[in-house]
Amino acid sequence: MAWAPPPSAAKLYRPNRFVSLPAELDPATFDTSPEKLRAETERLAIRSRLKRQYLLQLNDPSPPAVIENPALIRWVHAKSQNVYPTFRLTPRTSFLGAVYGLGPLLFWIFVLKADRDRKEKRIQEGKLKRSPFSVFF
Amino acid sequence: MAAGALRGVLWPRAAAGLRAARAALAAPAGARAASEMSQDMMPGPYPRTPEERAAAAKKYNMRVEDYQPYPDDGLGYGDYPMLPDKSQYERDPWYQWDQPDMRHNWGEPMHWDFDMYIRNRVDTSPTVVPWHTMSKHFLLFLSIMLIMFGLGEIYPSYRPVGPKQYPFNDLYLEKGGDPNKKPPTVIHYEI
Repeated sequence: MAWAPPPSAAKLYRPNRFVSLPAELDPATFDTSPEKLRAETERLAIRSRLKRQYLLQLNDPSPPAVIENPALIRWVHAKSQNVYPTFRLTPRTSFLGAVYGLGPLLFWIFVLKADRDRKEKRIQEGKLKRSPFSVFF
Repeated sequence: MAAGALRGVLWPRAAAGLRAARAALAAPAGARAASEMSQDMMPGPYPRTPEERAAAAKKYNMRVEDYQPYPDDGLGYGDYPMLPDKSQYERDPWYQWDQPDMRHNWGEPMHWDFDMYIRNRVDTSPTVVPWHTMSKHFLLFLSIMLIMFGLGEIYPSYRPVGPKQYPFNDLYLEKGGDPNKKPPTVIHYEI
């Protein structure tokens, strides 16, 4: 009786959101088309140009006091200064804003109020003695 | 509006330096007041036309085909490129990086979550065991253990026990009984 061939390692592995696929199971590693070669060459050209700029500054006999990394400056700017100008009110952002902004506040209001009401009810029923007021817990 | 907010905020000079690169990840909000970068070199709004995309790709030192901004749903990413979610662990350890501890080259576009993907933090290297197998094993184990412990709390089971028996007439003298009086006899056995 012929069984179906066992599932391939890539299918067994099942790409997921948290970790990357190993290089051996990724079809992109075995892609030797000329387009990929051209893309890699272009990326290498960009990388070499950047490395040359950096090494020129680094090995300068009178080097600058600080070698600024424009990528770092852009990253910091994007995460801090560029969020508010590019923010837009959409249904999704308003919903998320309400959930993250008001959600915890309302949750804790209701939890603490319910807890204190239950404690007050128990004190009124006599099961709990009202603790003396103290600022030192 | 952004320029007005930037004026007067000092960019710490050492933050972008080579040696202080790691401190730079925690540096306060940067202004370009002390750097030579013009406003068109900074991240901006989402690119709408192909020319804007090309200009943005050139700005970020990427190929036009590689450049893919975050989808424009108003969450504040602007034109920042969406790079693959791979941590710095996955980069070649033997290549001569400009910043070896960060495995990052000068001028290379940084991931939006770069500070999460450094080698002290999140690691997305491929696992030896598939993720779904690992999570299945873990959740099965955890749930079985929790259920059994819960059942053990609700229905405790132990060998039959009786009250503890103390010698010397239930420790009459140790419990503070009068030594001059005869203690009440306590017999714990039956013959």
